[in-house]
This record gives sequence, structure tokens and C-alpha cells, in this order.
Amino acid sequence: MSETTFMGVERDKIDWNPTIDYTKCDFCIECTKFCPHQVFEVRKTENIKLIVKNPNNCVVFCRACSKICGPDALSFPDKNATTQRIKEIRKEENND
Amino acid sequence: MIENYAILPCNGLDKCAGAISREIAIKLCENAKNEIICPVFYRVAEAKYNKIAGEHPLLVIDGCQTRCASKLAAEKNLKVSKKITITEEAKTHNVELKSNLRLLKNENALIEIILNGLNSAEEKAASSSDKTNASYNFEYETYQKDKFLFRVPKNPEIYFNENDCWAYVIGNRARIGVTDFVQQNLSDILYYTPPEIGAENDQFGEVGEIESSKSVIDIISPVSGKVVSINETLIEKPELINENPYELGWIAELELTDFESDKELLVGFDKYLEIMKKKLEDLNA
Repeated sequence: MSETTFMGVERDKIDWNPTIDYTKCDFCIECTKFCPHQVFEVRKTENIKLIVKNPNNCVVFCRACSKICGPDALSFPDKNATTQRIKEIRKEENND
Repeated sequence: MIENYAILPCNGLDKCAGAISREIAIKLCENAKNEIICPVFYRVAEAKYNKIAGEHPLLVIDGCQTRCASKLAAEKNLKVSKKITITEEAKTHNVELKSNLRLLKNENALIEIILNGLNSAEEKAASSSDKTNASYNFEYETYQKDKFLFRVPKNPEIYFNENDCWAYVIGNRARIGVTDFVQQNLSDILYYTPPEIGAENDQFGEVGEIESSKSVIDIISPVSGKVVSINETLIEKPELINENPYELGWIAELELTDFESDKELLVGFDKYLEIMKKKLEDLNA
């Protein structure tokens, strides 16, 4: 289930979700089994068998799926840049 | 110095990180009185190692995030005192691991860094007397959802982030931990990996990890600062986080570096209670 805001900022304004490196991913789908937020989707019949289906379901600052990824195929945006961006958006919205 | 430990390395022979785990285990045994548990032999003949594992604190060395050594420890019901993952260490120290299975210059340099880190962390932990004398008194409000009880502390000195971690701020220090929402969701917590004492930490940085049979989560710090002490009791008794994640199950203490700025992205009791209730509704949905 998607959370609609994070720290008062609309979730879809925050760029935080995993990027799959398909040169490393071996489609073991441990991430899909692990993540309770349905961020990933398995596509058994297609060439690319795993996609990030619901990026906004990803919990901001959570990187747990990358920790259980054996081939180290998942990466996340820079945390400090994301924190700064959230602060900026909050300021912009307060000034409106 | 790492001494008197039982060491359970990954020993993966098809990856560079596995070869590094093995080498670190060997070096730890050459340099001090430690004992290796061979993961391959342990699977087929556990009697040989049960005694070692029962009598010594256990250091688990995982090669990659598949965490075979950790999984073996869990399978054998071993208490893990310390845990490192080579691929994580390589990232931290900007060493790129390739597919070679023989250890070359880069890998040997990383091994030295890891060994120094392990030994100095052990020394810091042994000499750490930098605990605050502050007293922490919690007042709770309780919220019940189905059969689960969730305590949320309502002291004004306690701040929360939306990642379900709290910070109890006194002066320029904060004690931090996770909330009941985390421990109820994880259910029985089996491992606690503490942050390193002395580590400088950004707001929303990772200050350790907790792992249950269901999942593993990063503890996401509500505040920025230097780690000045950790709750060492949790290494042997991580279940205290289930018992009470605010008092006996606290995670670490930080010396604050920019709390005025951190506060912008933190909430107090009222707001956190609201956020937690919404998360519980979403989980149920």
C-alpha cells in the first residue's frame, strides 16, 4: 500500500526507489520476496523478469532490499541529496 | 584485538568476496587465539564445532549479501556477536571487487583494512566508558490494534522520523532506537549489528541493523552526530528490543552535530502516533 506523503511532502515528488542493474541481476527475486511494499514485479514470461513496478511504494530512506541482494544489483539515490530536496520542497510549499 | 572468538566465514570459492572471507578468518587465527568453524564441514558434522560455538563469542564473516554464513548460524541457532559483510566493507572503503579468485594487491589491502577495523572496533568497545549519565524516563501512550499493543512515548524530548525510529534528546546528546511498530512487525529479533563507536553519522544514515526470522532492517537515525556508545547488551540479547525498544532495547547514543536542522524533518508524539496508525491501517488493507 502506498504512503501518500513523507514528512508532509507528496511521495511522488521524492525521488527514492531502487534502480536495478540488469548486468548484475540474476533474477533470483529475493528482493521481491523480501519487500512487503510490492515495489517490484516479477514478469516470468518476459526477457526482463523483474521491474520496479511501484516506485512510490518504496519507503523513503529504506535500502533494505539492496542489503539482501546477493549480486549487488540494486542501488538507491544519494541520501543527503534526497534529504536536502525534501527540505527545499517543504520550504517552497510553505512559501506558497 | 579480536581474541577468543569462534569465526564462521563464508568460504565461498566461486567469488572474490568468499576468498577474502576465508583469508580474513585464517589471519585472525594466525594472529590471535581464535578458532575457525568450517561452514562446509559444519553442515555435515556439527559435533566438531558445537563446543567451540557454545564457548566463544561468534564472529560471522559473510562474503556477499546472500549471507550464507549468517544463514548457517541461524540454522544452527548460534548467537552472533559480531558480523561483517565483505562486499559492504569493500564499498565503504572504495575497493572494487572483481571476479578474480586469487587474492591480488587490492584484495590484500582490503583485508588489512578490515582486520585493522575489526581489531580497533573491539578495542574501542572494550575501553568505551563514554556513556551518558542522563536518565531517561519514558511516559507512554498505548494503542491497540487487534491483538498487538503499540507503546508510543509522549515525552516532549522525544522526536521521531517517519522510518519509525526515535531520538530522546538531552542537551547535545541523543539516545536512539526503534519504535514498537518496528519490533511488532519484525517479530522475534535474532541479531543486532551495532554501529561503530566514533562513526560520524548523517541524519537518516544507517546506525546498525536488526534482523528477525522475517526480515532485516536498517536502523535509520533520526539525528546526525557521532556515535559515542552502543547498547552492548543487545549483542547477546537482541530480544530486548522486542521486550521494550525504548528502555532496555535502545540502540545507540549520539553526540549531536546539527540538531536544529535535523528537527525540521522530525515529528513529535502526536504526529508520530497519527503516522503509525495510518501505517497499521495500510498494512491491514
